[in-house]
Amino acid sequence: MLSWEYPPRIIGGLARHVEGLSSALASSGNEVHVITLDFPGAPYEEREGSLYIHRVPVSVPAPTFHSWVLLFNHFFEKRAGQLAHEFGAPDILHIHDWLTVPAGVASKHLLRTPLVMTFHSTEASRSLNSQSTESAMVEGLEWWGSFEAARVIAVSGWMRAEVLGRFKLPEEKVEQIPNAVEPLKFEGPVDAKAARTRWKVAEGQKMITAVGRLTSQKGFDDLIRAYPAIRRAVPESRLVIIGDGHMRAELETIAEQEHVREDTTFAGFISDGELVAALRSSDVVVVPSRFEPFGIIALEGMAARVPLVVSRVGGLAEIVEDSVDGIEVEPNNPSAIAAATIKILSDKEFASRLAARGEEKAKSYSWENVAKKTLGVYQDAARVTRFE
Amino acid sequence: MSEGSKRLLSTLMVLGAQSAEKALPIEEFAMKLGIGVSELQPDLDRLAEAGYVATTRRGGSASVYLTGTGVITASSAYS
Repeated sequence: MLSWEYPPRIIGGLARHVEGLSSALASSGNEVHVITLDFPGAPYEEREGSLYIHRVPVSVPAPTFHSWVLLFNHFFEKRAGQLAHEFGAPDILHIHDWLTVPAGVASKHLLRTPLVMTFHSTEASRSLNSQSTESAMVEGLEWWGSFEAARVIAVSGWMRAEVLGRFKLPEEKVEQIPNAVEPLKFEGPVDAKAARTRWKVAEGQKMITAVGRLTSQKGFDDLIRAYPAIRRAVPESRLVIIGDGHMRAELETIAEQEHVREDTTFAGFISDGELVAALRSSDVVVVPSRFEPFGIIALEGMAARVPLVVSRVGGLAEIVEDSVDGIEVEPNNPSAIAAATIKILSDKEFASRLAARGEEKAKSYSWENVAKKTLGVYQDAARVTRFE
Repeated sequence: MSEGSKRLLSTLMVLGAQSAEKALPIEEFAMKLGIGVSELQPDLDRLAEAGYVATTRRGGSASVYLTGTGVITASSAYS
């Protein structure tokens, strides 16, 4: 499996997906090798049972991000060749998004191995149809990967429709397999008081939590703009935003302009354990995204038994059933975010009902199921792949 | 974060400066960016304060590298 991110290098949902899938595949008796980028403090080589993680340094400097991607693909390809020599050629190569397409396609032909590609997102949706030359390259690689792959996986129904339409693929080539959560991660005791104190949530205050990269796509600016109305209705509350990114300073400025900076915690990046504690200590999790191919944080909130407010976009709208296991709101609408959040914070019975139903639903999204479905796709890919 | 700061983080990442051993001398970094050290230093100070970069001394020169948070932040625009 080739992926540019793998814990502790967690940029988005892709890292969690590759970790969950590779662990579940290894647990069910498969030998899995993940080739990924190195990360400060993480070992180059790691093994747990039949799961091998190979973290590759990029030994040549690049002038730009996009040329760097092509360079690290060269080093991935080299590692794939070394591993094939050491362990034998793999039965399947699995790449994730455009970032590993060059190494995946080259390795497919060099090792004569069937290729599978998972789409977690597309450049067009992520960049809001940017016409830049960089986006043209990324879109070209997406198409190239989807063409060379024997089978394509999309993480939601929305993503599947996007990939089918954009790359004109035959229906039978694209399978929908969602992300999942590890329910055990969310069980066991949590020191809620310590977690809330850490995020400056005072005793008796409601904790409103949002998690993700601080980028425009995530819509945290809308949540901050919604917060003054929430505070008027629920004065004893605190907004905790977990994650980091390019928009951090801008979001802090918006919080100041909205006069809620003192009541908002910007927690930055936190560890997995801290995230579980934060989610389980929350009174509501808000996912105000403008675009979300899947939205793994919604599943994590459900698994943590916390009621959700989510935007009605992409994969989020498929995960959450409005007013049954969360509340859906239109994107780009701070008033709607405020109304839904106030409803959850002020109606305890309703909030408990949503949380209980959400927890039940999260159990159906297991990595074991994802691994079983993915193995089916691998078998299908092997069946249809022919090398001349 | 300003466009300039984003560029600094991204440049450090693609140059491979993501550990103390691979830290880039600040003078060399400024030359690669085509600016003076005095122009670069305040931005680096701000990024260091935010935890995105760290500095060390290599061969007598002040050098800079990305922290784990810096790597993730530099990558976050592309995922």
